[in-house]
Amino acid sequence: MAAEPLELGRPGDTPALRLPSAADERRPPGTSRWATGARWTFLVVVMLILYGPLIVLALFSLNDSIVIALPFKGFTLEWYREAVSNGLVRESIKNSLAVAFVVTPISLLLGTMAAFATTRFRYRGRGGVAALTGGPLVVPWLLVGVGALLFFARLDVPLNLRTIGAMHVVVAFPLVAAIVSARLVRFDSSLEEAARDLGATNREVLRYIVLPHLVPALAAASILAFSYSFNNFVISFFVGGFELTFPIWVFSTLRHAQNVPIVNAISTLVSIVQVVVVGVAWRLWRRRSDRTAATNEAAELLW
Amino acid sequence: MVAAATHEGRARRRVAGPLYAALPTLVLIALFVGPMVILLYYSFQRYSLGGIGGWTFDNYTSIATDHTYAKVMVSTIVICTVSMVIMLAIGIPLAYILAFRTKPKYELLLLLTLVMAEELNPLIRIYAWRMILGRGGVINWFLQAIGVIDQPIDALLFSSTAVVIVLSTTYISFTTIPIYAALKAVDPDLLEAADDLGATFLTRFRTILMPLAAPGIFVAIILVYIPLYSEFAAPALVGGTGGYMIGNAIQEAILESGNRGVGSAMSFMLLVLSGAIAFLGYRAARIRRLQAT
Repeated sequence: MAAEPLELGRPGDTPALRLPSAADERRPPGTSRWATGARWTFLVVVMLILYGPLIVLALFSLNDSIVIALPFKGFTLEWYREAVSNGLVRESIKNSLAVAFVVTPISLLLGTMAAFATTRFRYRGRGGVAALTGGPLVVPWLLVGVGALLFFARLDVPLNLRTIGAMHVVVAFPLVAAIVSARLVRFDSSLEEAARDLGATNREVLRYIVLPHLVPALAAASILAFSYSFNNFVISFFVGGFELTFPIWVFSTLRHAQNVPIVNAISTLVSIVQVVVVGVAWRLWRRRSDRTAATNEAAELLW
Repeated sequence: MVAAATHEGRARRRVAGPLYAALPTLVLIALFVGPMVILLYYSFQRYSLGGIGGWTFDNYTSIATDHTYAKVMVSTIVICTVSMVIMLAIGIPLAYILAFRTKPKYELLLLLTLVMAEELNPLIRIYAWRMILGRGGVINWFLQAIGVIDQPIDALLFSSTAVVIVLSTTYISFTTIPIYAALKAVDPDLLEAADDLGATFLTRFRTILMPLAAPGIFVAIILVYIPLYSEFAAPALVGGTGGYMIGNAIQEAILESGNRGVGSAMSFMLLVLSGAIAFLGYRAARIRRLQAT
């Protein structure tokens, strides 16, 4: 699907890398100064749209005023102090982390099993399993939440963090399955056959051939599953009963008040942690391979 | 000997496949199919404070005949479609730049920033936009400062425009990445060859890029357009009355007015709509891919 990693012997291959030489009668398409300028402007605008609001949010978290409005009144760390000492904030963060830490390993396990079941074996009903696993990826979360609420109510299951966790697993593990099977499909099975011919047992094949091949997919999947669970609002909102998770706390706080500086403070903190985690994971991943290969792998995984 | 080993392997695999499938399938049947069946069941039940009582088609007829539901549905379709078009208008050029016009070093960085934007909490993003669009927000302050207006514009926030702005900026990454992945599979030499043969940018775009990007575009539509229809946090926090969407109507019916029958009926209609969009998207993606290769 994605292009093979570029060989080292072909340096000038991508248009972006290509330097105009005397042999070129005209410049390669899209390298004129005007085009480059337009592209940069576009990229800057997109980045502003994506990250500008979050920067504003962070700036107001340092503003010494209960009213969130320009101009700035002065610098303070008061809102951070209040946010981290607020009982509800602490409880909601604690609950969200607890749920995500339980949901992630379970989703990894179920997702990998589903991926193995749908890509490595042939049996009757395989298509059905694949379609069922794809279901939660296509059905909107609101419907999953509403349906689960009615379902639990019907069976008299009390709503709490466990029901939240269970429903997070239902939407997170099919995602894991999708990522892992994308990787398994690209697995060169001759490696496995070679290992078997050389006398490797099933377990050895799994341990030394298949799992190492899956590591990047599993790492990416666990980060995604964790943030799926941590960020999930709609499902938690419906199946959470009176339990508070971080997104539910943000929602109910904003529902009743216009703007609240402690929401700015805690949101900034949470976002910084998320950025750091993703950044570190990315660095670790990149160390494994050169940049072009990493980009191609990323493209493969995301696809 | 090899043949025997393979045969044995196949037999083992026939058992192992269902073995791997069992647990995930059970979980999905219990906690995913179960809720969907309950949704369907309740949508055909008469519902009152005393509980459910008997089969009925009333929930659907009351939705079909009530003008407020029709209005909500129309505004939901408009909001979702406009947001999707905006996201494609940003996502397609962005994916093109990422795939063909960026040095590998920056390509990775840009990809990372896109993925990162997707990882951040959507509720935080909604709140952030409220600070920008609100009465005392950045835009009003700026327009007042340069003297374009003397009273803050209230309509920026709590309107369908605000919902479109928030939604279309929340899912840009989800839209861009599948298109990027599809374009990444295009051989850059193809574009160069077309250029050498004298094709203009428009010709290259129409005859090479769009057909090859099409599967990615359909995946983006499945990933983004369907969830847009059930959006409920953004309209609740920045939508006001103008940006009220079907998701809010469902939430109100189920949680506030306690009318589970109508709420389930609306949910089920939304489920059918999602299924239809997904089906069309998948078909379109597959057909185009066959044509492209």
